Amino acid sequence: MESSRAQTIARDVLAVLVVAIFMFPIAWWALSSIKPYSAIFDRSGPVYVDFTPTPDNYRVTLLGVSRVDIGMEQGGEAAGVIKGGASSYDSRQSLLDSAVIAVGSTALTLLLATLAAYCLSRMQFSGQQSFLFWILSQRFMPPIAIVIPIVFMFRDLGLRDTYTGLILVHSLINLPLAVLLLKSFFDDVPREVDEAALIDGATRWQTFRRVVLPMVKGGIAATAVLCFIFSWTEFLLSLFLTTSIRTVPVKISTFVTSTATEWGYITALGTSAIIPSFIFILLVQRHLVRGLTLGSLKE
Amino acid sequence: MSSAALTRPTSRWALPRFMTAEHPFPWLAPITVMLLVFGIYPLAYSVWLSFHKRNVVSRQLDFAGLHQWTRAFSDARMWHSLETTLIYTFVALAVQLALGILIALLLDTDRKGYGVLRALMTLPLVVPPAVTGMMFLLMQDGSFGVLSFYLYGVDLISPAQPILTQPGTALAAILLADIWQWTPFMVLIILAGLRALPKEPFEAAAIDGASGIQTFLRLTLPMLRKVIAVAVLIRGVDLFRIYDYVYIITAGGPGTATETLSFYAGRIYFTGDFPYAATLSLIVLVVLIVVSNLFVRLFKVRF
Repeated sequence: MESSRAQTIARDVLAVLVVAIFMFPIAWWALSSIKPYSAIFDRSGPVYVDFTPTPDNYRVTLLGVSRVDIGMEQGGEAAGVIKGGASSYDSRQSLLDSAVIAVGSTALTLLLATLAAYCLSRMQFSGQQSFLFWILSQRFMPPIAIVIPIVFMFRDLGLRDTYTGLILVHSLINLPLAVLLLKSFFDDVPREVDEAALIDGATRWQTFRRVVLPMVKGGIAATAVLCFIFSWTEFLLSLFLTTSIRTVPVKISTFVTSTATEWGYITALGTSAIIPSFIFILLVQRHLVRGLTLGSLKE
Repeated sequence: MSSAALTRPTSRWALPRFMTAEHPFPWLAPITVMLLVFGIYPLAYSVWLSFHKRNVVSRQLDFAGLHQWTRAFSDARMWHSLETTLIYTFVALAVQLALGILIALLLDTDRKGYGVLRALMTLPLVVPPAVTGMMFLLMQDGSFGVLSFYLYGVDLISPAQPILTQPGTALAAILLADIWQWTPFMVLIILAGLRALPKEPFEAAAIDGASGIQTFLRLTLPMLRKVIAVAVLIRGVDLFRIYDYVYIITAGGPGTATETLSFYAGRIYFTGDFPYAATLSLIVLVVLIVVSNLFVRLFKVRF
């Protein structure tokens, strides 16, 4: 379809406008993280540029500087007003906890899901579609429903408040989508590739390891990123299953206290938590977009 | 395809055939064990709980037959939360699907700069849902929220009735967070579908002088049917289980106006009445299994 110059420009403007609307909450959030408190809570109207940027929220959450020290720097008088523990806003341990759990559960999910997806893509057996639907139906459970039994179960197994426990639970939630995604990537590799390798005398396992697996590297990377992001952002299960380990989303929620909502620290840690996920998703975007259709593009 | 597998001699180690890599068993055993232990056990435990009753005196769980189930079906609050969940799911799905299709069409071009726009569009997807909830809480705060300020400005809402304190607008406030976060997911899936469409039918339609809207309704939409079905299924399941946004933005309030079924189950859980909480969450599960099974059959979704 030929379109006129005016139409082209109208489309560009509209596209930029739509994306800008979707970017606004994040931009506002990131902007709030470098605002002094007086600018966040300004009741006379939104403050966009009319404030002195401050790194203090990041210094407290990411560098572990105590807020009392920051109060002292600002002339001492502010220190007296500050309530609550000085170190409870230091989030370095939470970032480490989240990273360990996200990497661990991504690795476990990939291991189990790749094996299953290859098999479901390449072998035929009775009840195959039912088996797939059964895997998918694991996603139907409301998290609150699995929380109740798993809290009891983990208490008996000694898995409460451990990395292992959360890694297992996050893998459980990630497995259904990971299997479906990976299956669609394996389906993209023609069966003739396997058959040629098998005829050449390779075993099924060698065919999988040496021939097919390297061909779906991109798909595996995309699935890994999706698993990582899910675990990194998961809230409810982490909240219930841990007490001393605090993943980043849970840590952020503790900044809402009975006396105040610490918007400065919330926005600073929230902004920091988004950055790694965004970088990962950009790296694999091409594969992810293909995979998310779960093979529904093929006839 | 198993012809190659069948002719292969199984000599070396006389392992039973189901233990070899030619058989699905070793490939599927690890995931099956994992899903059985951490998936089926909690389910079985929930079902067991739903037939029991908390004995306040002995602190034991007594068998109670269908007590929890009849209690749930005669519980007006359960029906209200189910209604809220259905409204929430349908409104969010409809808006996300419509916006998703429109934005995908808008961004589907090879011209310079659109790649950056498409990448930016994925940004909401990586924000932790708990953080999304707080983002909208910050913007919708009655006294210093930026969104509230502009809505007051255009007289859509009065400062005397802040967004989160009115039953109707509070649900809209949660929906807004959901729509913001998940419309990009629809955009991504539909973009993938659009990119994979064959070119020829569209060229033919253009030669025949079909209008843009005709082409969209007669060609694009039917050809995207399967992609849309998968997107609706994945999204619909997640919407029906909605918990995080409700928990953070309104905590079910004002009153029980924005209480969804999952959230109601959670609330009961915190009172310590585990059998009833389990029953309520099983209702969510049963509805999802029935509806998604029908959906898969109706739209012939195959994985």
